Amino acid sequence: MTSPHVTIGSSDEMQTHWRQLASQYGSPLLVFDAKVLRRNYQELVEALPGVQLFYAVKAHPHAFIVRVIEQLGGGFDVASGGETDLLLQLKVFGRRTIHTHPIKKDAEIRTALRYGVTTFVVDSLYELEKLIPYRGRVGVLLRLSFRNLGAAVDLSRKFGCSLTEAPEIIARARELDVHIKGVSFHVGSQCADASKHVEGIETCCELMQRMNEHGGTPMNVMDIGGGFPADYNRQGVDIHKFCAPIRAALEQLPDDWDILAEPGRYLVASAVTSITTVVGKSIRDNVRWYYLDDGVYGSYSGQIYDHACYPLQVLRTGESFPSVLAGPTCDSIDVIAEGIELPELEVDDLVIGHEMGAYTAATRTRFNSLPDARLVDLGTGEIDG
Amino acid sequence: MRHFEETLYDAVCQQFRIDKLYFENKTDHQHLMIFHNAQLGRVMTLDGVVQTTEADEFVYHEMMTHVPMIAHGNAKRVLIIGGGDGGILREVLRHPVNHATQVEIDSAVIDMAKEHLPNHSAGAYDDERCHIIIDDGMNFVRESTDKFDIVIVDSTDPIGPGEVLFTDDFYGQAKTCLNDGGVIVTQNGVPFFQPDELQTTHRRLGNHFADANFYCAPIPTYYGGFMSFGWATDNSELRRTSVDTIRERFDALNIKCRYYNPPIHSASFALPQYMLDMLDGDT
Repeated sequence: MTSPHVTIGSSDEMQTHWRQLASQYGSPLLVFDAKVLRRNYQELVEALPGVQLFYAVKAHPHAFIVRVIEQLGGGFDVASGGETDLLLQLKVFGRRTIHTHPIKKDAEIRTALRYGVTTFVVDSLYELEKLIPYRGRVGVLLRLSFRNLGAAVDLSRKFGCSLTEAPEIIARARELDVHIKGVSFHVGSQCADASKHVEGIETCCELMQRMNEHGGTPMNVMDIGGGFPADYNRQGVDIHKFCAPIRAALEQLPDDWDILAEPGRYLVASAVTSITTVVGKSIRDNVRWYYLDDGVYGSYSGQIYDHACYPLQVLRTGESFPSVLAGPTCDSIDVIAEGIELPELEVDDLVIGHEMGAYTAATRTRFNSLPDARLVDLGTGEIDG
Repeated sequence: MRHFEETLYDAVCQQFRIDKLYFENKTDHQHLMIFHNAQLGRVMTLDGVVQTTEADEFVYHEMMTHVPMIAHGNAKRVLIIGGGDGGILREVLRHPVNHATQVEIDSAVIDMAKEHLPNHSAGAYDDERCHIIIDDGMNFVRESTDKFDIVIVDSTDPIGPGEVLFTDDFYGQAKTCLNDGGVIVTQNGVPFFQPDELQTTHRRLGNHFADANFYCAPIPTYYGGFMSFGWATDNSELRRTSVDTIRERFDALNIKCRYYNPPIHSASFALPQYMLDMLDGDT
């Protein structure tokens, strides 16, 4: 386990703020701040001018977040019928949504079409053929694979066709009269820099131009995926600077192409903060163990599935001791952080988790039948759970 | 200013301005809206697809009703599957029928249409000849022992809640509800954009009826030119009823229509070449 960034102590103002939230809404709690989401969205819009943003709903499929993205004029990237259901319940128009899962059941395609999605992603001949019955309605993106061993999560291992397979699939689509309108790629999550994005843009551009020379229906859509990082190590993420090479690469593309991106993590990670409470402690082998009311089966599930390590904060200050923060379940894997130095904590102390909006609540389980952390919308006071 | 954008096709879509929103459901797993548009009057949409508008509903409802009714010539009992807005019922009750059964899956649709689309039913639901049954259309045709001269299937699209009403099984069961020489007509989409739907229905109706065919009418807000209506009966002569006979029957009815007239009735069975090619390509 990598060690998280830990902040010791906090301003009086923030202590009061978190204590008030915990006493009003209970613990464990996730606190959503729409202002932060709006700011992140605007910053990404400015960092990627002319790029249409489709929020990756899977990052945090919640009404509070969807409503803000919709107000901002953003689109939605969905990967399942459950996600389209959420949008349908919120009456988000389907025309603002793309379906990006390369592998899907026929029923899934029909559900998405019924909701109003007409953009689908394929990465093989098998997936292409599933769209034959719907060819009069859909526009397809061909997903290419670019391995990225530098990303926290390499998304090109499981999905995507190779550059050498692409022309065959495109040619077959033309025979079948299924409209491939462009290509997509996903360089992976939490990228250290944008070099893989640039490589993807350049390679896809070359492929699209080469295929367009053959005539047929022109391809003019490029979906550059996500991978925009969250600030897990608290060193600050300058998204404008991160995206500079992407902007430069996009400058080279023809003016009449549509560029899409699927940000999830970057938009929502910093918009949600976790509040947990110390419910028990013990000292074993000179290490202080603190048992919290949320853990890796709950809001911290991203530490298992998403390889994330969230910045933590305790409110006390003072002499530090080797410490472990553990989750509430009976499983010994349920440890949030170990090998960290913390001041002596007491039962009922709060532990704050930052950058906890993406792939946290989304992947939690109900192990031990523990209740989910509730989610509160800081701006409206609305509570869910 | 809010707009409705239809979600049927990726590369093209029609967009309507929402001048006033009368109704939008909040909870169900579907998105139903009724709004006013200056050009089209009241518009009803479901899950991103236009269902009906006050401006052009007459084309659809007149053609869906009067073509089978007048071709039959002596329809006394009519079954309507779907049609919750009441437009079909309104047109059916202009004929001297004894009985019209309407099977709607959701009573809320009828209530909502009476309130927000009152001109569609225009009081038809108060007619004592009409019998409303709240049931799944498939279930009704499977279980009912009633017989009808005409079955009108006024459904949503095959990708959507009306899916079962486009199945081979449904057409077979619906046939058991028909008297000898009866006719079933169905809403069958816009072949220009939905050729597969025309081919599939042709095949499925053909499994059960001696004459499985289509007739057409252009409904302006069903984007894509002609809409096709499925036509199926064991009396192959009905489709060829002479225009004189049709005129005689129509005159006897003494009703005024806005799209339907006897020459249009006859002509509507003439399919454009692109549709004939689709049907040819399918056999």
